[in-house]
Amino acid sequence: MADDDGILSSLRYLFADLLGDDDDTPPFLPEGLPENLTSVVSEAIDLLIEYQSAGCARLYVDRLRRFIGRRGVDDAMLGDIARLMAGRMAYQDPIRIAQLKLAELDKAGAQGGSAEVIKFRLDELVEALPAVIAEPVLDALEWAGWVRKSRVSIRFSNRNRLGIRRLKIEAGLRRWRLFSVRYAKERAWVERWLHMIDRSLTKQPQAASAIVHTATMIKGHGEAYRQGLADWHAIIDGLAKPTFDGVLALSDLAGAIAEARAAMPDPRQATLKRKIAEIRARVPAG
Amino acid sequence: MDTSHLAEHAGAAGSFFASIFVVATLSMRTMIPLRVFGILTNIILIITAIPTHNYATLILHSVLLPLNAYRLHQMLQLVRDVKKSVNSDLSMEWLKPFMTERKCAAGEVLFYKDEKADSMFYIVSGRFRLVESGIELPVGAIVGELGMLSPSNARTQTLECVEAGVVLSVTYDQVEQLYVQNPAFGFYFLRLASARLFQNIGTLQEQLAQHTASTAAPKPA
Repeated sequence: MADDDGILSSLRYLFADLLGDDDDTPPFLPEGLPENLTSVVSEAIDLLIEYQSAGCARLYVDRLRRFIGRRGVDDAMLGDIARLMAGRMAYQDPIRIAQLKLAELDKAGAQGGSAEVIKFRLDELVEALPAVIAEPVLDALEWAGWVRKSRVSIRFSNRNRLGIRRLKIEAGLRRWRLFSVRYAKERAWVERWLHMIDRSLTKQPQAASAIVHTATMIKGHGEAYRQGLADWHAIIDGLAKPTFDGVLALSDLAGAIAEARAAMPDPRQATLKRKIAEIRARVPAG
Repeated sequence: MDTSHLAEHAGAAGSFFASIFVVATLSMRTMIPLRVFGILTNIILIITAIPTHNYATLILHSVLLPLNAYRLHQMLQLVRDVKKSVNSDLSMEWLKPFMTERKCAAGEVLFYKDEKADSMFYIVSGRFRLVESGIELPVGAIVGELGMLSPSNARTQTLECVEAGVVLSVTYDQVEQLYVQNPAFGFYFLRLASARLFQNIGTLQEQLAQHTASTAAPKPA
């Protein structure tokens, strides 16, 4: 009996939501991809399969395909989009850190081993849970005023058997990552970033590269991640989007973004917001 | 006269018939016959439970009977509404009972261009704009219904909320379930989607003809 017709495959389909995607066929490289970028994209596909699944790698290829052969996108820009998008799609959550710690052990062998204590924001941890659980918990935390104040330290150790077992359990939670609040937010962020690149290519092509590189503002986890994300939204909402909407007649968007980025990092965003207001004030009223 | 043996016989016969109907219900492939047989099973089990004083079964099936009847009514109404829509204004209002409400703040983006589509929206209130074309969608508009049938499943525009409002949304999975459960719905849904597609093609052809006429017209000296 063919595998597709079997009872097991029917059961797998029935419980697909709980078991995760069972289609593990890796995607092909997108058609028309320049020769010099095949290694970057192949590495990204491998990374995303290891990070989440073949489905996640397929989503990456689909997203990249939008820019292949597009007017205004040269090899260098496409390479940057490919590299930065893979980085953002494999965002660092506690599951990823557990995966990296296990990979470290594979490389170092049985002798090597280390422990790391990483501080997360409480909401960052809750957001890694499936939305059904996370949303009411986040509402309760918000109500209690604990969302921004609380930090939680988590120890990731591959020194002993117990630590490794724990890492394996944490890394195994990747099946449920796709249902998490964080995944939905990251997905929306990547789409917004790509949308801004797309609009820049139509409205102000010379600024497209600067928009692509704004992805480097968001890195890591914890406070640094939250700060980078808030700064990114401030720059996009304050400068890029109004320019594309035709509300702000900013002729040098790339220069304005570079100027605003120079005002970072600032935990309270006061300097950045002042700088954005200054740039906007300099633009002649339309 | 002792009638207890009559009640016993009625109970046994009722259980026998009910078993046949349970098997028949479970062997149905689509939702409408399944509900009809479910209702018949409920009725038989209620009738059987009265003389045998089986109150647990009586209560359970008295609850299940209106539930089955309501779901059957919903399904029949859905098919009727889709059929009516195909023959009149091509509206998709019939989907409203299956949709969930979502509040949108100004500036919120419901979906981006080229993003994989997974749901359709019905605008209840507020102002919504298709970013790339700059077209503002009126209240009552349905967005994303054709994405479900398109092979690439990709959004062709970005939808942004300009003024806070409410939309109703339904995922393609949910519509797919309705489609699979009910062949009549599936048939009329396909006809409706095709009719809307042809309507869009007609509008585009009209616009193209207008554009061609305006470019071909001699310019004043």
